[in-house]
Amino acid sequence: MIKRYFTLLIIVLISMRLSAQVWVAPAENETKKSPFAFDDASRKAGAEIYMTNCKSCHGEPGKNNAVLLVPPPPDMSSVKVQANSDGAIQYKIAVGRGLMPSFKNTIPSTDVWKVISFLRSFNDKYVQEVSKNDGGGASVPNVKIKLNWLKESGQIQISLTAPSKEKGIQPVSAAEVKIFAKRYFGNLPVDEPRNTDALGKAVFNFPKDLPGDSIGSVQLLAVLSNDAFGDVKVDTTMSIGVPTYRAPLNEQRAMWNVVSKTPIWLLLAYTIAVLGAWGFIIYVFLQIRAISKEGSGKDTESAA
Amino acid sequence: MASEVNTDFLHNKKLDSIAADILRPVGITQGFIVWMGFLGISLMACIYAYYIQWDKGLIVTGLRDYISWGMYIANFVFFVATSLVGMLISSVLGLIGFKWVKPIARIAEIIAVAFAAIAGLVIVSDMGRPERLPYVFMYGRIQSPIIWDVTVVTTYLVISTLLYFLPMIPDLAISKGRIGHTPKWLQKTYQILSVNWNHTPKQYKILLKAVRIMLILIIPTAFAIHTVTSWLFAVTLRPGWDSSIFGPYFLTGAFVAGSAAVVIMMYFVRTNYKLDKYLTEHHFDMMGKLLVLVSIVYLYFNINEYLVPGYKMKTAEAIHLNDLFVGEWAFMFWSVQLLGLVIPILLLLFKFFRKPFPMFVISIVVLIAAWFKRLIIVVPTQDHPFLPIQHVPKAWMVYQPTVVESAITIGTLLLVVIIITVLVKFFPVIPIWEMAEEQNEIDSKSKE
Ligand code: HEC
Repeated sequence: MIKRYFTLLIIVLISMRLSAQVWVAPAENETKKSPFAFDDASRKAGAEIYMTNCKSCHGEPGKNNAVLLVPPPPDMSSVKVQANSDGAIQYKIAVGRGLMPSFKNTIPSTDVWKVISFLRSFNDKYVQEVSKNDGGGASVPNVKIKLNWLKESGQIQISLTAPSKEKGIQPVSAAEVKIFAKRYFGNLPVDEPRNTDALGKAVFNFPKDLPGDSIGSVQLLAVLSNDAFGDVKVDTTMSIGVPTYRAPLNEQRAMWNVVSKTPIWLLLAYTIAVLGAWGFIIYVFLQIRAISKEGSGKDTESAA
Repeated sequence: MASEVNTDFLHNKKLDSIAADILRPVGITQGFIVWMGFLGISLMACIYAYYIQWDKGLIVTGLRDYISWGMYIANFVFFVATSLVGMLISSVLGLIGFKWVKPIARIAEIIAVAFAAIAGLVIVSDMGRPERLPYVFMYGRIQSPIIWDVTVVTTYLVISTLLYFLPMIPDLAISKGRIGHTPKWLQKTYQILSVNWNHTPKQYKILLKAVRIMLILIIPTAFAIHTVTSWLFAVTLRPGWDSSIFGPYFLTGAFVAGSAAVVIMMYFVRTNYKLDKYLTEHHFDMMGKLLVLVSIVYLYFNINEYLVPGYKMKTAEAIHLNDLFVGEWAFMFWSVQLLGLVIPILLLLFKFFRKPFPMFVISIVVLIAAWFKRLIIVVPTQDHPFLPIQHVPKAWMVYQPTVVESAITIGTLLLVVIIITVLVKFFPVIPIWEMAEEQNEIDSKSKE
């Protein structure tokens, strides 16, 4: 009797877990659509991103070679995945759940759309619906980012504008913008991310001690992360850093450098040693000549 | 070499007999023709081997990416090492004033010249694209020990040649009129090379000064040549090479190899040319003592070189040392250390073993061991790079010298023997005038 009771309990628990497994995206995400039409280029780019970030768990789509986890990472070509709307997949990738990591901070939203573009290539019945521009405010594409250097306060001011069908060029407000300074190995965030104000402007504090190149130029990258329309990036160079000149490593004299960059001490030591030794050798050759001169004309046989 | 020369010896009758003794083997004899014919034919085979390498590249050797220094480089180190004895005997011992080195000095210089001259060729044998040799001079960097090595080997060769030639000038003049039994061109050569020497005091003064300068200059040069050769290894970070005593370790090892080579040549000259009056048992006895001394010093450096890292057994070093002590290289390692160092030291402590024939045999063993010792220094280190060897064919992991490679190496040794033979057969191998001068001193002392 007790045994049966337990069996029942286990069945109930399992079915509860199964029901818990259904993963539904919030309604407002369900309807989100890609800002661009999927094409071969986006599928190819998406495949690459998928292979580096997702394959380790989900395996290759259609091959059912996912890693055995609980719950199992579904095969991307399965009905389970493909039944999702584009917006739902985008949400799930961005947010994650349990063992499925959140990629919000690792993969930019445009790239996520590219991955979806790749995933959809395993679904013959899929017909893409591209996001339609409704012409209102921030959702207008072709957002322009302008950077201004506010010399007195040492700040960077950013202004966002976008063309609108009815009202011409309009400021983009309440959009999150990040600024980075480009360094050798990656991008250094400048200040915190900021939202633009009603005039489409935001101000960033710029550090006073950031090294620039020899004339103080710093390459800046302003990024507007926009879920619906992808990222808008702009690259500008401003002479606002501390001018720094670092001689390239191959300019200094060093043991490992080319012969014209021999360390002085070595050059001296080598030259002195070679000249010294060969000076004596040449001197001795001259002595042989002196011996010969000394004996010329005299009877060489006399002694022997 | 004395600073003054008493030219009375020129009028001593004994000069004639000394000159006759020493000049008797000079010239082209039947034995010489047969011997050179044998050397020449053997050399042809080796030159053919080199032709194959020239044509196909280093792929015909056992050298691959990981073990890229094999027999050739070991052979190079051996050559440079053996040639150093010229400096030890004529310069260090001569300048200190040991009289017994007089008849041996020229033999030591012949060895120095022959080995140093061929050492350069040995390096070329290790080049896959030998026609690019000029690039060393065109694009070489002064920062590279390879350039220092090229510089110092050339300098050493020139100084050694001068040290062979300069003290021979009076001999050439003495011999000029006494070598009627030799071909005309040789007599002509004597005429030219004796540079109008007619034994004037001024000439002796100039000569002695020139020789003295060279004797002093060769000491730093010889130190440099072998220290730099050791640096070719020691300036790398690899276990077995990354050692701060590599310079003196190489230098002292060089004296062991060189002394053995001198003894071997002394024995040949003494027995073949019946010069036992000049190369006496006393000379062998002294060389035996010298060999013990340099061997003990070298043993001391060996203990340092192996015991200190062996005590610590750092990871990479431990792999290397295990290979030498108990692993793949153990047989060669212990054979070389025992036969080439420990046993000779023990034997040569006894007077019996310092007699010519036992000395000759011991020296041959020491010299062969010296060659293999260089192989042990060069090759095993490359068996274990810091990044383990993976996913390569078996042939790349183990160094297996090929026939072509061995033939080329033998060829370089033949060249050395040829040079030695030519110098010995065409020129007086023992300084006539120094022997006569010494004899004159003895005579005049006994008269008093
Ligand atoms: C660490 C392993 C892991 C990685 C990496 C991973 N996933 Fe997942 N993924 C999972 C797991 C486990 C689930 C199931 C989660 C659940 O149902 O609770 C899942 C679920 C999903 C779902 C939802 C399927 C459904 O239930 O509707 C999608 C879509 C998805 N992954 C896409 C991706 C993409 C695209 C990537 C790469 C950018 C990725 N995953 C990387 C483990 C992973």
